[in-house]
Amino acid sequence: MKLRSIKYLTVEGLKNMWVNRLMSIASIAVLIACMLLMGAAIIFSLNVDKALGVLRDQSIVMVYMQDGRSEVENKATANTIRDLDNVKEATFVPQAEGLESLLDTFGEDAESLFTFVEGENPLPDAVQVKLDDLNRFDATVSAIQKVEGVDSVNSMRETAMRVNSISRLINIAGFWIIGLLIITALVIISNTIRITMNSRKLEISIMKAVGATNNFIRFPFVVEGVVLGVAAAGITMVIIYFVYKAVLGAIQESMMTQGAVPFTSFMWPLLGIFLLLGVLAGAIGSLISLGKYLRKEGSEFRAY
Amino acid sequence: MQTAAGAPIIEFKGVSKTYTTGTHALKDINIKIYKGDFVFVVGASGAGKSTFIKLMIHEEAPNTGEIIVNGFRMSEIRRSQVPLLRRTMGIVFQDFRLIPTMNVFDNVAFTLRVVGASSREIRKKVTAALSVVGLGNKSRMFPAELSGGEQQRVGLARAIVNNPSMIIADEPTGNVDPNMSYEIVELLTEINRRGTTVVMVTHEHQLVRDFNRRVIMLENGTIVADNADGGLES
Repeated sequence: MKLRSIKYLTVEGLKNMWVNRLMSIASIAVLIACMLLMGAAIIFSLNVDKALGVLRDQSIVMVYMQDGRSEVENKATANTIRDLDNVKEATFVPQAEGLESLLDTFGEDAESLFTFVEGENPLPDAVQVKLDDLNRFDATVSAIQKVEGVDSVNSMRETAMRVNSISRLINIAGFWIIGLLIITALVIISNTIRITMNSRKLEISIMKAVGATNNFIRFPFVVEGVVLGVAAAGITMVIIYFVYKAVLGAIQESMMTQGAVPFTSFMWPLLGIFLLLGVLAGAIGSLISLGKYLRKEGSEFRAY
Repeated sequence: MQTAAGAPIIEFKGVSKTYTTGTHALKDINIKIYKGDFVFVVGASGAGKSTFIKLMIHEEAPNTGEIIVNGFRMSEIRRSQVPLLRRTMGIVFQDFRLIPTMNVFDNVAFTLRVVGASSREIRKKVTAALSVVGLGNKSRMFPAELSGGEQQRVGLARAIVNNPSMIIADEPTGNVDPNMSYEIVELLTEINRRGTTVVMVTHEHQLVRDFNRRVIMLENGTIVADNADGGLES
């Protein structure tokens, strides 16, 4: 298609939107509703994921070394554990550091509670292990237990499993919610285009009669669909910005929100998803609604 | 009556068309129309005139037989080639089919926009086409502001603006008053004089009698008369 045809057809698409402005506004509104739901699902999932990430990172597996081994030997064991499959991090914690950290946990009462440890440290050297994939939790723990020099493994298995199942549930729910919303967006756009197209039957029949290709006929409708999608994406982003800010502000008064994912961290990817969705829904929606009509010809088309 | 020599520009060879409803619209049609011909296709309602046009512009495909139009063999034409076929012809409709939201100029320019013509080319060709049909001074008017005859002249300008090798006119005088009907046919005659083949479907026998041209008469889907060789007196 020639550049001047593209220019002409783009203007025609925008004119169509204006002529059918009520329908366009309605479509944008419903698309915004879809995108808001989708954005809420994504942002909720991001925040839950972050919270779960904190739990995941709280050293779910603690590996204790056998007594009577030197620190050098234990460090070597830590290195062996680090090299195991599915181990994300393995941090060596010397016994002195372990005790310090334990005492810290109890704060001011520590001295009175732990008088019996005075002068000697009952804790062994340890390795804090973080895993990549919690689905392989048991297999990895069992592999760690088999490493030479390991005495015992203290794992928060239940927490790990719960974190894992919640995260899986959120992923599955998110997938279905987003899938359903994409289908809804497609249906909305194709309906709008169908209505626009009905009002332009005469024009399309003339286009066909004077030798317009199907792409030439489709182009303004695709422009219309894409512009609807992009407008909805932009407006949704602005709404999400203000709503998220307000929600975080409200929560902040009652509890800590340092854990919340900042808007700026997901702004561009989310806008990208919305634009992609808007453009694809616009383009595919208009192609779906036009497809069966374009197989009709001239007067047959007008009577359709 | 004038019939040019050479290969026919439109050829129907043993063409039959039956719709899915069971209606036999055309039966074993054999026609040759040459470049520069002016042909009236006449017949009563249901005689097969509309089907004849639909087959020519590939709006319908025949069940049997072969149609060749402007070098396009309809049995072999690909979907993507149909627009190219239609660009070689100008179609005039009984109901004008002008876009009410576009002015006269834009309605005529529409054909050229479809083929991606430049603004300069569009201005030049539209002005020329409008002056041929005598509407040079009404280019900014909208269809609703024109009479039936004027609207049909806009339709005619739209059909000729891209310099087609043939004009297919489907009852072009059906919605205009008798005086204007003569003007429309005179315009078609003038266009034909410049070398464009014209096929005009009509049921107005008086018009056909007054313009002494080739006449193909259809009845119940078959050709009952064709004065291509000088026959057909009534």
